[in-house]
Amino acid sequence: MSIHLPSRLRWGAAFVATLSLAVVVHILVVLAIPREVTHSAYTDAARFGPDRQFNLLPAVEAGAEPLPGLDPAMKHAACRYQLDDGPVLFTAAVPVPFWSIGLFNATGEVVYSLNNRTAGSDILSLLLITPQQLSILRENPPEDLDKLIVIETAATQGFALLRAFSPSPAKDLEVDLAMKTAFCGRFE
Amino acid sequence: MSVADDRAASAGQSQTRSPRVLSVARAKAQTQAEAWGGHDSLVQLRPDLHDVVDGGPPKPLRGLMMILLVLMAGSAIGIGSAALVIQGERPFTITSLGPWTANPYAGTDKADPYSVAIYTRSARVPLAQGEGLALTAYDDSSGRPLSPDCTYEISGTTPTARLWTLTAANDKGDLAATMAGRTSLASPGLLRNEDGSFQITASRTPSSGNWLPLANSPDVLEGLSFTFRLYDAPVTTGASLEGAEMPDIRRLGCR
Repeated sequence: MSIHLPSRLRWGAAFVATLSLAVVVHILVVLAIPREVTHSAYTDAARFGPDRQFNLLPAVEAGAEPLPGLDPAMKHAACRYQLDDGPVLFTAAVPVPFWSIGLFNATGEVVYSLNNRTAGSDILSLLLITPQQLSILRENPPEDLDKLIVIETAATQGFALLRAFSPSPAKDLEVDLAMKTAFCGRFE
Repeated sequence: MSVADDRAASAGQSQTRSPRVLSVARAKAQTQAEAWGGHDSLVQLRPDLHDVVDGGPPKPLRGLMMILLVLMAGSAIGIGSAALVIQGERPFTITSLGPWTANPYAGTDKADPYSVAIYTRSARVPLAQGEGLALTAYDDSSGRPLSPDCTYEISGTTPTARLWTLTAANDKGDLAATMAGRTSLASPGLLRNEDGSFQITASRTPSSGNWLPLANSPDVLEGLSFTFRLYDAPVTTGASLEGAEMPDIRRLGCR
């Protein structure tokens, strides 16, 4: 037998059903978007050059932003890494009053970040490593391990973004060179 | 089976309608029609009280239409509202200081689902907490939405930071070409008052003092936003922003 309701009540029920369905669909869509995206900052960063090395990004200018959401006042260099082939070492010495580095996983979430003050020295030396690789490394630790900032992560893919503030156009070339020669690669 | 149905059946009609007290009246009408000498057409002409009073019996086709309508409208509203929020590209505000809004958790594993969707969909790279904090304004200090057609004065002080930059963009964060070629202003080299406060004029045409150039050929529909990026600032979390001061945004005039 079908349910027989007065028409006012029936419209009310339809309204409530529509609204509940809308809420469910809304939540599903919002939660589904991160899984369904076709490109991420990680895939976009492949455009700038080979993996496992710092590639200087073009200047952040109107209509030609290398990645969305970057600061036009900063210089950027990106390095895509995969930890499957071993830990990745980052070293840099950028002669500017401010630089910072952010490590992001393949979906663009922050893994770790620091700037030249929190790094404790003007030279960046940071080792990104998986927990398994770290336990292997600890069995026979290299001498300079305690001089490195060691970051453990389970995310084996990601990218590093180095940001530097060039204080004047006169220093631009020097800063560019320092960012291009920043190291991102195999840890021996 | 109810009494009413039994009566209707006894009146010689095949009744599939659900039991109603009113169908008693209908049954009476039918017996009257019989008394009229088999003028069945009268019964058909007579408005069915059953239908007039309570909307009638369930009609399978109408029920199906209603369900389809609910499904379609529900999906449309759900998808539409999600698209509106996500394509607006404004991460949820966790903290605000006057017109300035910030979401320090955007781009981290503590982010809300909307920020996650917005950041992954636009593939934007967040400013991580160890680097600094970005505060964005979409409205001026009196609550009016920012317009690229207007001239604004941004004055006051910022929370302590080793370096900050101020950028003008549309309300989705995309930069627009300006007369000066630059779209930002940085704290080193800024003209300041004796007490450390500053005034910045944001306008399309050059201005004396600290000038933040706005879009050369502005599209009003794209809107305007100002973003302060405070690098190496002690205020990187929402709680530490309590009591901090950010500049006012005053509209000076519009074209």
